Amino acid sequence: MSRRILKVASLLMVMTLAALIARHTALGQAAKAPAPAPPPAKTSASAPASPKPWVAPKTAWGDPDLQGWFSNLSENGTPLERPDQFAGRKLEDIKGEELLAIKAAAQQRTVESFAGPLHAPEDWWQKDLNMVKGTQAWLVVDPPDGKIPPITAEARARTAARNEARRGHGPADSWEDRSLYDRCITRGLPGSMMPVIYGNSYQILQTKTYVAIRYEMIHETRIIPLDGGPHASPKVRTYMGDPRGHWDGDTLVVETTNFRDEEAFRNADGATLKLTERFTRVGPKTVKWAVTVEDPHTWTKPWTFAMPLTMDDTQPVLEYACHEGNLGLRDILLGARAEEKKAAEAAAAKTSK
Amino acid sequence: MKKRTLIVFAAALAIGAGCLVTPLAAQRGTPYRGPRTPDGHPDLSGIWQAFSTANWDLEDHSPSPPQVYQMGARGATPGGQSVVEGGDIPYKPAALETRKKNFANRLALDPEVKCYMPGIPRATYMPFPFQILQTPTHVLMAYEFASSDRVVNMGKPVEAAVDTWMGTANGRWDGETLVVDNTGFNDMTWFDRAGNFHSDALHVVERFTLTDADHIQYEATIEDPQTFTRPWKISMPLYRRVEKNIRLTDFKCVEYSEELLYGDLRKKPSK
Repeated sequence: MSRRILKVASLLMVMTLAALIARHTALGQAAKAPAPAPPPAKTSASAPASPKPWVAPKTAWGDPDLQGWFSNLSENGTPLERPDQFAGRKLEDIKGEELLAIKAAAQQRTVESFAGPLHAPEDWWQKDLNMVKGTQAWLVVDPPDGKIPPITAEARARTAARNEARRGHGPADSWEDRSLYDRCITRGLPGSMMPVIYGNSYQILQTKTYVAIRYEMIHETRIIPLDGGPHASPKVRTYMGDPRGHWDGDTLVVETTNFRDEEAFRNADGATLKLTERFTRVGPKTVKWAVTVEDPHTWTKPWTFAMPLTMDDTQPVLEYACHEGNLGLRDILLGARAEEKKAAEAAAAKTSK
Repeated sequence: MKKRTLIVFAAALAIGAGCLVTPLAAQRGTPYRGPRTPDGHPDLSGIWQAFSTANWDLEDHSPSPPQVYQMGARGATPGGQSVVEGGDIPYKPAALETRKKNFANRLALDPEVKCYMPGIPRATYMPFPFQILQTPTHVLMAYEFASSDRVVNMGKPVEAAVDTWMGTANGRWDGETLVVDNTGFNDMTWFDRAGNFHSDALHVVERFTLTDADHIQYEATIEDPQTFTRPWKISMPLYRRVEKNIRLTDFKCVEYSEELLYGDLRKKPSK
């Protein structure tokens, strides 16, 4: 019984890796090879009768109630920045059939990227993948052109130094050449909030003094104090950072600092990076999530991206024993050593001839 | 004169009443009644930690040297008293043999060394703090060690869908006590560093009772007919971490276990 779970977990791990690749591929392709844009959808002539105004629910102690299980699966594959095909257009104008066509193409690309001799059973995640419900053509909402502001000279030098440090390493000389996600350590922030092809369940729990967000993928729990206390000492740096929250009207504002450099978003400076998240319940099933990214050591000005989180009671957070079943990482390293051995043997055979 | 008599009489009455009331209440064991959550239940929320040697060995044990000499005194085991009711764990004979083998190979076999999720009850008495957050429908217990957590379902009990490391937890209130019934465990966690173990038939019923503002009396009844001759119970106090600036700090120990787990697969420098 338990061994079977281990096997399942290791298969899931392999899929995680594949999901990562797919995500990056999808992002890259969306920017490079856009599908021809169909004409904008006609607006429906008959507007639906206005329903009763929806009132955002409150907790027993009067805070806006964000609690429940969430998934952002349908935002999977949405590129962060505005693809060039939409130059000059506004995010809110890409909708209807045009948006549907983009999303359907992204879904097809994701599924196709898994075709090949080595993959998990075909009905594991494919039938649940529902990118066509995606609501945005890209995620950056500020600046309005959908492009991340230029990085500073310091950030360029930092990235170059990090690349230089990696030079001469193969893709799997050791586990340290793999991502923290492959290693089941963390997806960091905002990584933990971003969709992948499966395991996109989140749970928000609230008390008067704390908000907790549980992530199924890599089982992490963020506990956000609302007591107005100061951030931890700059000497305490973690992958998920040090969050502090407060209510701004109906919006939960969470400021996170004290990041470790290794997982700081987009090669930012972990010591100065600040992420400000805003969670607002905008509908019976929807929480709007927006993140302002600030780091004067990395970007010339702050920028913001956003996506909706969809409440879904059918997708509770389950235990994802990522590290415990991480045979995928062992297999990657085993594979790399086997290839080296094969290459060495081939070279030896050649010289002996 | 009259006034003084009255005062003396009143004082005598007060003392008498005090003598009557206080000991009676103590005798009856009137439970501590602390602050309530908005829905009227005892408020267990806070950051808690056990301070005992239970994570080294649930049973009575002498101090012992480190298994890796480089660790020196830092890696030694402190001696301590059993947290098991009656002292010893009632193993079946074959299971006791397994436990002895586990103990002999504990550095290689203890899941804690590999940074695996500790399971229940061990998560409670790891030498790390954990935090309780209470809502009317869920009680979250987030553990610093290995970023493990669990949510106790306070609604209609659910059956465990699959076996997991942290189990499936259903909770209810028994007066001032939070009772958590845990099932659906795999057989891969241990109870301590001494090789005390269980099968996937494990069933754990925990009781969390506030005894004053800063202490929880913790009990866990452990049932596993494949491993033990009868159910047995551990108990210990949990202490509130009262430091003003106390927070859980991510302890992502995976990276501390990788050399151990994958070191044999590191690329060897070419000769």
